Amino acid sequence: MSEPFLRIDRVSKHFGTFQAVQDVTLDIAKGEIFGLLGGSGCGKTTLLRMLAGFEEPTAGRIFLDGRDMAGVPPWERPVHMMFQSYALFPHMTVEKNIAYGLKHERALTRTQRADRVAEMLDLVQLTAFAGRKPHQISGGQRQRVALARALARQPKLLLLDEPLAALDKKLREHTQFELMSIQERTGVTFIVVTHDQEEAMTLSDRIAVMDRGQVMQVGTPTEIYEFPASRFVAGFIGSVNSFDATVLSRSADGLRLDVPALGGEVTARDVPAAVPGQGVTLAIRPEKLRITKDRPEGGNAVAGQVKDLAYFGKDSLYRIALPGALVQAHAVNARRGDEGARVADWDDTVWVAFDPSAAIVLVD
Amino acid sequence: MDKHPLRRWFDLKGWRALLIGVPYLWLILFFLLPFLIVVVMSVATNTPTAPPFSIGGEHPWVNLGPFSRVFTDSLYLRAFMTSVLNAALTAMLCLLIGYPMALALTRVSRGWRTILLMLVILPFWTSFLLRVYAWMGLMGKNSWFNGLLTDSWNFLVPLDWAVKSVPLMNTNFAVVLVMVYTYLPFMILPLYASLERLDPTLDEAAMDLGSRPHQVFWDVTLPQSIPGIVAGGMLVFIPAAGELVIPTLVGNASQPMIGKIIQDEFGQARDWPMASAVAVALLVLMVIPTMLYSHYQARAEGSK
Repeated sequence: MSEPFLRIDRVSKHFGTFQAVQDVTLDIAKGEIFGLLGGSGCGKTTLLRMLAGFEEPTAGRIFLDGRDMAGVPPWERPVHMMFQSYALFPHMTVEKNIAYGLKHERALTRTQRADRVAEMLDLVQLTAFAGRKPHQISGGQRQRVALARALARQPKLLLLDEPLAALDKKLREHTQFELMSIQERTGVTFIVVTHDQEEAMTLSDRIAVMDRGQVMQVGTPTEIYEFPASRFVAGFIGSVNSFDATVLSRSADGLRLDVPALGGEVTARDVPAAVPGQGVTLAIRPEKLRITKDRPEGGNAVAGQVKDLAYFGKDSLYRIALPGALVQAHAVNARRGDEGARVADWDDTVWVAFDPSAAIVLVD
Repeated sequence: MDKHPLRRWFDLKGWRALLIGVPYLWLILFFLLPFLIVVVMSVATNTPTAPPFSIGGEHPWVNLGPFSRVFTDSLYLRAFMTSVLNAALTAMLCLLIGYPMALALTRVSRGWRTILLMLVILPFWTSFLLRVYAWMGLMGKNSWFNGLLTDSWNFLVPLDWAVKSVPLMNTNFAVVLVMVYTYLPFMILPLYASLERLDPTLDEAAMDLGSRPHQVFWDVTLPQSIPGIVAGGMLVFIPAAGELVIPTLVGNASQPMIGKIIQDEFGQARDWPMASAVAVALLVLMVIPTMLYSHYQARAEGSK
């Protein structure tokens, strides 16, 4: 197997007794957009700073394109970072900011430098703003200057620390796609640190979910969402209804579980690791629950009462009291109407059903 | 129930007016008015009366004699030159010594910062005169300090250059030395204030883009601290140029600074118009760069 483009090999970082990053191993391919997702203090920013060279790992090694990065100072790494605060130089114009890194490129002539800056300004559509200072442009424009500045030296690896956090919602959606298209055009490998799961899901080819300094799961957005490996990942990405369950039996048809909160037996897809008698967690995404007035044919179905509902327009969120739990269910409002748009109303008795394949069984 | 109109006026804007008015009144009474008196005096005629000047009467209303002497008499021109050079040298040395100290203050831990800042301000707790006298003691011929300098000098240079003691007292060098010592905190504090505001991630950004730490200083730290440098420079330069006590106590009497001239004209010579003219000229000399600076500063702010 060929060497991965970026290999993070059993890297740990301690600050005194605090373990910021613990034994992280990741392989990242060239041209990938890789998301590092986690809450605050999970170690994602420390990992990013070690890649940039601002922190040295306490243990483990980082290889970029086959080269060991140990002891290489930030100014010698072919790695550039887009800071969360953008860190634009306030005393320089947009153009000077973008040109800043290029002055260290000894091989470039003056015209080549000017061409590169013009190219970058064009890439982020800021040519008209070249002469402005950072405080004279909008937040979204600043974000693009920061991106252009980091890309100007054509780094092998671009680190983006919460790239969209400072933008408002509308701009964020637009910028996400812009970031992706710029990444596609430049072919630079992106590592995006974020605490926003939606941002990570839309931007990334693959995501590493981190918690307390450790990588909990690595996978594509679909894998992470549909097949979470642990309770933490299931709960961190999207919302989930989870229940304690006991494995009753395993067969080719699937797993039979006793779920007291759902008032009885439930079938789920077979999980090789499950052993009869074992206590597991059953997790179901709210949008995978179906709500009907009448008892559906076959499958898993439990009767309950609608306690609460929130109407969002395109869909509604229901809170339904089941025998031993309150669950959340999402239903699309497919019909149009005054009252009829909703599947059920307050205090209605309804049936909550789900396919065996929709149930996630978490062993750990 | 109607309130008294005066009461209503007070509730609406009286307090505001009072709060703004008092400092202005203070400035008008204790700065502008005395300054106007000095300006009037500077165009009066010196007479053997008490006070020793008069305006109008048998004399011309405006006597520009003192001013023409300020710009022609070599005594005043040389004194102005000495003052400006000494003050500029003092400001420059304070900057060179103070900048690393201010920068260090921003890089140490919070606890150390408090202690070090305290040390910077500590000299103000003892009398200024006492500190100048301490320097006189140190620089005098018979002090251990001078002895140490003399021995080191004699050890380092050939024999025929040997001296009995290093001439420190009553030199222009002593004036600059003591002024640097005295005004250093006025340079450190504004520098520290402007350096402390800088965002450390900008340094990281510059390093990330390929700059070594010393390049980061020239590209990022220094340009952003220019307002602090200018503020500190003016806080040192302006009082140093008008300094009277230090040159009188440790300076060379044959190379007077402008403060000494003003004192002599007012005192021994009893030529108040002349003294006033020198004072007004000094003020104009100091005010012009300040105004130019605030003009450019305002323009820079305006473009923000």
